[in-house]
Amino acid sequence: MRAEVTLLDLRLRRRSLLGYTAGMALYTLVVVALYPQFKNSVSLDQLTRHGSAVAALFGATGTLTSPAGWLSANIYANFLPLIMLLITIGYGAACIAGQDEEGTLSLTAALPLTRTSILVQKTASLVVQAIVLGVVTMICVAVGRGSGLNITPADLAGITIAITLAGIDFGLLALSIGCLTGSRGTAIGITAAVAAASYLISSLAPVIHWLRPARYASLLYWSVGGNQLTSGISVSSAVVLAAAGAALLAVAWYGFRRLDLH
Amino acid sequence: MAVITADGLSKAFGSRLAVEGLRFEVGKGEVFGFLGPNGAGKSTTIRLLMGLYHPTAGRATVLGLDPVSDAAAVHRRTGYLPGELALHPRLTGAQLVNYAARARGLTDRSFAGELAERFEVTLDRPVRTLSKGNRQKIGIMLAVMHQPEMLILDEPTSGLDPLMQDEFERLVREFAAGGGTVFLSSHELDQVQRVADRVAIIRDGRLAVTDTVDGLRASAPRTIEFRFAGPADPAWFSALPGVRVRGTGPRQVTLAVRGPVAPVLRVAAAHDVADLTARPADLDELFLAYYRRDAAKEPADAR
Repeated sequence: MRAEVTLLDLRLRRRSLLGYTAGMALYTLVVVALYPQFKNSVSLDQLTRHGSAVAALFGATGTLTSPAGWLSANIYANFLPLIMLLITIGYGAACIAGQDEEGTLSLTAALPLTRTSILVQKTASLVVQAIVLGVVTMICVAVGRGSGLNITPADLAGITIAITLAGIDFGLLALSIGCLTGSRGTAIGITAAVAAASYLISSLAPVIHWLRPARYASLLYWSVGGNQLTSGISVSSAVVLAAAGAALLAVAWYGFRRLDLH
Repeated sequence: MAVITADGLSKAFGSRLAVEGLRFEVGKGEVFGFLGPNGAGKSTTIRLLMGLYHPTAGRATVLGLDPVSDAAAVHRRTGYLPGELALHPRLTGAQLVNYAARARGLTDRSFAGELAERFEVTLDRPVRTLSKGNRQKIGIMLAVMHQPEMLILDEPTSGLDPLMQDEFERLVREFAAGGGTVFLSSHELDQVQRVADRVAIIRDGRLAVTDTVDGLRASAPRTIEFRFAGPADPAWFSALPGVRVRGTGPRQVTLAVRGPVAPVLRVAAAHDVADLTARPADLDELFLAYYRRDAAKEPADAR
């Protein structure tokens, strides 16, 4: 298995990945450190008590003062998905369509590598980036066990897997649109719109009843829209997220094999 | 044995035909010059040969393989220098060379070292700090360092200073002398006639002519300049077949003559010629003549 393209792209993304991950780690540590100040706050729970749509918009539903509620409302339902998607959608759109528009892909395209190999190596780079962010965040949350944020390791691992898979899926969506159109802008635009819709559906479905059936179409619902922080990732969620990734990778493969490179 | 063949090779982008019905062959050890103005379809043809573009019609073979379905095998044996070379701006030449060498499984880097020395390649600075010429040298190194069987080079000397252009032409000649095949595009006729054995001229996506440089020169127009004792009138010559008036002065007429010279001399002799200079065949003039001739054939394009 060759990895030159994976390593090159990781080198090219090193600065942005480090920056995003360091920022996410710092934010997570602050959220974790603040928990003891808020865990007995009654007023905070009133915010979501009657199913407030405004609180739901920010990804906050259910009790906010429980460890799971606190982490969900501050990290897993909003901020982490946002940073995760910035990384994965950005890379997914840039790694083929963006590099082709810049002209830098021609160096790789002229090497003795099949298009399948190039695509697989770029997907591997996407997966590594998503895992780095997910795992670093997980470690920072685990540090918080000292401040009373008691989440079982299995649940923490479950939500980390779920959010990482969702990040990879959206990255693959951007990658496949880039492969079908050759346009980085189109890939980012469409994927960001789909991600925003997914977020709204997933976060509002618990309080807006007519929206509830639509949540099954939201990848973020399968990732962070349930109670993954208290019961881990369900088999069905994992299957949906993995199957979506496989389907999107197949679309990217179909598009990349037909794409004219410059 | 033909190393490259194009058989009715065509590529359209939407309704715009970039190249149409290209037919040519390039033999082993040959340096094939691909000439044409900007936008004529040179880069499109090269990308079709590299399997980067998918042909709309017709087919190409490179080293006996299909450039699209066997791209990896073709690329293993080919060196490619893109026309608008874009290298990752933050990486250094050394990092780019390492990347390509690893991906090619190249363990012996001695030839790469020779090239770096020969072309004075700056390898230790980020590409974004380098001049266009110094980037181009890295591109040449990336194309040649694995000692391929064939080179496909799109405007290879753009940005190079004259000394480096000479060095590059020497490299191409050595490569061909060692049995390597070169497909080289350019809009600089001078360079092509110095290094190429055969030349194709492409215009508006179609081949205008394919011939050896010597063959082209034989059919190229000669330049004949007459100076007369009295006033000169270009109209004396303009009706003669194969003759084009290139310039006039009060007592002077400069002609581009294709074909027999005798009718021109007969006309001139009738008008008291004071002096006569003739220059040998000029490929520049031929190059331009192909364009004009095609334009005349297609009045819709002449505007």
